Amino acid sequence: MSTESSYINYLEVLEMPEDCKSGEAIRAYKKKMKDLVIEIARVEITEERRSTFLLEMARLNAAYYILRDKDLREKYLADRAQVMQLEEEWHATVEKNPDSEDADRLRRSYDSVLRHFLSTYMEELMLEAGRDKECVEASHWDAAHERLATRVLRHYRQQLYREIHERLPYYEVTQPKINWDERKQVVAELLKVGA
Amino acid sequence: MAKKAQPQKPPVAQDIIDACLASAVAEGDIVNFRFLFLSYSPLRNDSSEEITADKYAYLRTADTSTQRYADALARASVGEVRQWVQKQLDKNGPAQLPADLLLLLGDNAVLLGKYTAAAQAYELLRIRRRMQEEFFVQADAALDRNEIAQAVRGYLIATGLAYDYAAFPEPLPTVPDFHNKALILHAEYPKSIEECVALQPEENHLRTALSYLLLSPEAAARLQTRSLETLRAFVLELVRQRDPEWDLFVKQYRQSCEVMRELGEHIDRNNLEAGSLADEAAEQQQTRHPEEISEALLGRKIEKGEWWQYMKELAYNHAPAVLFVSRQAISKDLEIVVPRHRSDSVWVRELGLY
Repeated sequence: MSTESSYINYLEVLEMPEDCKSGEAIRAYKKKMKDLVIEIARVEITEERRSTFLLEMARLNAAYYILRDKDLREKYLADRAQVMQLEEEWHATVEKNPDSEDADRLRRSYDSVLRHFLSTYMEELMLEAGRDKECVEASHWDAAHERLATRVLRHYRQQLYREIHERLPYYEVTQPKINWDERKQVVAELLKVGA
Repeated sequence: MAKKAQPQKPPVAQDIIDACLASAVAEGDIVNFRFLFLSYSPLRNDSSEEITADKYAYLRTADTSTQRYADALARASVGEVRQWVQKQLDKNGPAQLPADLLLLLGDNAVLLGKYTAAAQAYELLRIRRRMQEEFFVQADAALDRNEIAQAVRGYLIATGLAYDYAAFPEPLPTVPDFHNKALILHAEYPKSIEECVALQPEENHLRTALSYLLLSPEAAARLQTRSLETLRAFVLELVRQRDPEWDLFVKQYRQSCEVMRELGEHIDRNNLEAGSLADEAAEQQQTRHPEEISEALLGRKIEKGEWWQYMKELAYNHAPAVLFVSRQAISKDLEIVVPRHRSDSVWVRELGLY
């Protein structure tokens, strides 16, 4: 179970160590953005590629926007650490006693912190970064990009939420006991009906 | 002032709880099922709502003589399930739904064609994507065996289980929106007659039909490597399964073609100057108007209806219909929807359109 991978790591996006300086971040950002712009110009733009490029551009913008600002970087790293810790605590508590009040309390805290983390760092700040002067200059991000990116980012955030959700303890339903051989039979029978 | 105490209602009988759960499960009704566990559910002893009230009669409307109901009731009446349900109904907080019942509900929803309900049930159980893939795999296997109807049903179920994670504010099952897709399909006015969707060469037309009718380019891509014959047989069956009232549309389509013939062959806009046809048609057919073509196609008149209104309603009534029509400018103020097809297209003929 990898808890790290679903909580976007902007240091990894720019391939920077945690103690990187602002100057290093800007160099890495500009180099990566330049490569991306060249790549965009090189290929034919399909709808799928447009979404992928928009997302990649938004990730780079956000990484630079967050990491260059000391306060914002610290807040981001602290929020990320908190959400990962809460997930671990919740897992541990559920393993001991799934019906305990503590488990329920942790679930609520985690869910609220997770939603905040995803909407702040994987949507709002990504869009905000796109309005930043330096990011606009490097990425040529404009109002049209923002309009298109709104849906792409919401989709991205929900995808990540779902990925995370799938490894969490069951709480909306009891844990199902799925027998996939039996499921295959059910599917076969459902296909026969009316055919 | 002290709050007046609510009169205590008698505990809800176990057989009523079982019957309500069995009804929702048998009917694949995820909305009713979730409602039964909400904080104001009439099944809760601490709720002021009475399950015996007429307004809740709908919670027990399933046909109790079916095997589905019998199976659901048997599952809901298991001691362990009963205990869990009661515990959740007594709980002060969000209930944890019993997975066993939810799984059966999802299967029944698929059986009854309520794919969005099934998608929600499977999503809650975290098996939706795998179920979707299983339907695709078995549908592909059916296609290999040349069991076309079964293959089409599999594709329709699998695509019906899709989820839209970008839906606002929460992810929701993807709902068929042919009325919007039809407008996208006809968004650009064809610059030449060959650009009409309906006049593409047969193979291209079939592939367009596949993407549109499955509502998923990814699902359509799974059929890329199939032969033209298989593809044709698949799409023919897909049209019939997507629109069980296809034969009604065929009647309307033929009638519309007849009206078009009566109004004359001169509706080919390449041969006419804009603004002249309406006058010409009015002169030649004092009592008839070009709009009658669209009206016959749809089977009703839309007062002051624009072409896109006809297109939307047509797609809503008969989803595949918009694959055999095109936009046609009659004058600079008038655009209508007209029937179009290639007379050399095998699948159009097999669909009975000419």
